[in-house]
Amino acid sequence: MTQTISRKNLLSWLGRLLEERLLIAPTHTTGPTLFQPVSTVEDIVFDFDNTALSAKEWFFPATETLFWAEATDGRTELVPATVEREAVIFGLRPCDAKGLALVDKAFLAEPADTLYQQHRDKAVLVGLSCRKVSPQCFCTSMGTTPNDPTHVDILLTEAEEDYIVQIVTQKGKALLPDNLLVESEVVPPPPPSPPVVPAEGIEEVMRQAFDSPYWSRLADRCVHCNLCAYVCPTCYCFDIRDYESKGKIERVRSWESCQSPGFTRQAGGYNPRASKEARLRQRFYHKLLYFPEDFGAIACVGCGRCVQVCPVNIDIREVISDIQKIGGRNVP
Amino acid sequence: MSPENPFVPYLATVKNVVTLTPDIKLLGLELDDSIVRDNFSYKAGQFAVLSAFGVGEAPFCLASVSHPKGELEFAVRRIGTVTTSLQELEPEAAVGVRGPFGNYFPLDDNKGKDIFIIGGGIGMAPLRPVINTILRNRDDYGHLLIINGARTPQDLVFQAEFDIWASSPRTQLELTVDRGDDGWKGRVALVPAVIAELNPSPENTVAITCGPPIMIRFTLQELRRLGFQDNQIITTLEMKMKCGLGKCARCNVGDMYVCKDGPVFTCEQISKFIEQF
Amino acid sequence: MNQQLRDKAKELLERGTVECVIGYERATDGSSARPLFVYQPEEADRLIFDQTCTHNLVKYLLNKKDKTTAVVVKPCDSRALNLLFNEKQIQREKVSIVGVVCPGIVETGWNQVSQTLQGRCQRCRQHTPLVYDFLVGEPPAEEAPPAEAYADVAEIEAKPLAERQAFWDEQSKRCIRCYACRQVCPGCYCSECFVEQLQPPWVGIKIAPPENNMWQTIRAFHLAGRCSGCNECERVCPMDIPLSLLNRKLEKEVWELFEFQAGLSAEAVPPFATFKKEETLGIGE
Repeated sequence: MTQTISRKNLLSWLGRLLEERLLIAPTHTTGPTLFQPVSTVEDIVFDFDNTALSAKEWFFPATETLFWAEATDGRTELVPATVEREAVIFGLRPCDAKGLALVDKAFLAEPADTLYQQHRDKAVLVGLSCRKVSPQCFCTSMGTTPNDPTHVDILLTEAEEDYIVQIVTQKGKALLPDNLLVESEVVPPPPPSPPVVPAEGIEEVMRQAFDSPYWSRLADRCVHCNLCAYVCPTCYCFDIRDYESKGKIERVRSWESCQSPGFTRQAGGYNPRASKEARLRQRFYHKLLYFPEDFGAIACVGCGRCVQVCPVNIDIREVISDIQKIGGRNVP
Repeated sequence: MSPENPFVPYLATVKNVVTLTPDIKLLGLELDDSIVRDNFSYKAGQFAVLSAFGVGEAPFCLASVSHPKGELEFAVRRIGTVTTSLQELEPEAAVGVRGPFGNYFPLDDNKGKDIFIIGGGIGMAPLRPVINTILRNRDDYGHLLIINGARTPQDLVFQAEFDIWASSPRTQLELTVDRGDDGWKGRVALVPAVIAELNPSPENTVAITCGPPIMIRFTLQELRRLGFQDNQIITTLEMKMKCGLGKCARCNVGDMYVCKDGPVFTCEQISKFIEQF
Repeated sequence: MNQQLRDKAKELLERGTVECVIGYERATDGSSARPLFVYQPEEADRLIFDQTCTHNLVKYLLNKKDKTTAVVVKPCDSRALNLLFNEKQIQREKVSIVGVVCPGIVETGWNQVSQTLQGRCQRCRQHTPLVYDFLVGEPPAEEAPPAEAYADVAEIEAKPLAERQAFWDEQSKRCIRCYACRQVCPGCYCSECFVEQLQPPWVGIKIAPPENNMWQTIRAFHLAGRCSGCNECERVCPMDIPLSLLNRKLEKEVWELFEFQAGLSAEAVPPFATFKKEETLGIGE
């Protein structure tokens, strides 16, 4: 027996939620589909593959003030930023949810990034299983599945006219009233199967392949924009800079990526990672070796956004396969 | 920093600004909050991130020896926007301090040994608290040999302390410059040449070196030639930093983050880094 | 045409005329294209040229300044070449230009190849590159008349100021400052971009309007009289921001003021890269 919610009840529940909290869901824009706050449930998009940007921007915003500093009567006062509003993220794909769990490992490690923690604590994640895979998907090779409930508070799976509901956490239970749920005999549909990427044992192979000329050849066509890092659910590099206006100072952090030409440039001009090859290699090593060494998991969830947006088709699935071959593994 | 938010600095006040060389000043700060001040303890090698509010932040090694009532001292070399701004501060100005961060020189593990310190230019800043820690615990260490080099005599950083160092028991201070001037009566030689000249034995010795990359490179060559093993040579690494906490993923050399796993590393550790600069 | 291209590449590499040939190959989706760097003659068989070959490969020459390189160029790309020759960013002698006669490029992205020609191709007036050492492909017997060059620009110009402001605010809200537009642009090659300068801080790091507005607008101004209209900036934008509208608005202004179009020859200096005393535009009179 499974629990289900009718579409009608789902929409009315979401309609009530958005009156009390920030409801963030996939919406249409004049550009691509993005997670945005909605003021009416009619704005929620249900028929989408995945949003152009991952949900990470609602926990680790592209731009965020860390604190304000004000000098009054010769005394400086620092006012840290806080997150006030409760939020619900609706329509989160399991890959994106796993992405948040991976960013948690870095941001919540001691000393915890308390602003990020506040975002996480104040948000409830309502996931939406994938009924189909896109050509760029490979989540099952990266430790999750199209219907993985592990990293969300509630998981919805479309089944005929209704949605199968899995309440995963107490937070989820507190959010969704029991009386909206109906016992049903509908069988959960089998999840779709994305293509497999041979990522098993990639860390060891990466360790051997650092000096391979492969990276230089790959870097030839990389244009070193920040796209792959910005659309990625698990990339988290950032820059910090002060702004001053009329005596009030704001310290702001913004997304940046290791691909930026000046990422490692020191005052005085020395730049240890000036070459294209070194910068391109850094991103793959961080994801496939350094992050696993530090936190025990590959920093990739198989959402395929980087594959979709890269202007020059640098494809992490191809890179993994190529590196395995360089390491002598027999992979497709 | 505020325990609520590791990006929010402790407030501190500039107490002293001393010009050390044409481009280096020693900033002495006092943390404003007395409880923070009493609990801010650190070891030689660690660093703090200083805020010039409105301009930005940058990491600086702590050049003082930790003391509950003591000032935090930083040797700041003017090279970019933040360092220029910090150098323009006067006593009673407000700054921010985040830290202490990073690891430290393993002085406790090397008690009973002879210590060989080789510093060049601003590289003397993290070595100064090493020297002072040894001098304050003199009986715990054997012979202390210090080579301090600089481009010119004006660029020798802690000149006011040379007499104190040199007159300590079992301590030898050797100064050298790349280029002398009219008043300079001392040695004119590159640091590696001085190492060769002094020919110290690696027996029961640990070498600690900081300075410009080119000096380090040839210093290491010379030390190895004299028989020093890579696990007997300790140095510090420097990379562009922002958070200082291991969050922004910027300061790594391979899988080692300079802010978290460093800045102090042995040459043996460095030789095993997957990424070499 | 593919065979012609491959043979030429092989020849250039075998003879040692160039160390590398920059062209196109099929991407991992099996339908779109991606840049290919060929160093060995036997790799040349991967080269293709068809209506999916949208990238402006000229930008890559800036990474190979001290090497001899061959590059496959479409007519729009050849205008970028002329710009870079004129601005002394690449040396003519170091480049072997393999021009391709271009039938127009279709709307293309990863796993999306349509039959519709890109807007820039519908407006295009040149099917043969303006400069080349070798030409691959036959010029078409007859050419369809190009679409109106500035119809969409005029549409925005006709709107009242408040509506134009709202339109661009909406666009800049979505900008994530990935700088893909800048990185693919052959005209953007400053070793330190204005947007990254700390002193003075022209534009900050806040990924939010109005900084995003400033970013897009100033970049467009830096390209005024220099933009070759390859449209790669707009194609690569992940947020579908119609960047080419900004560039073409300025292209229109430059034409009206100076009767100048970028990249038509390597000798013509862009209007804002030069100053003539007699051109004061009435200021101070």
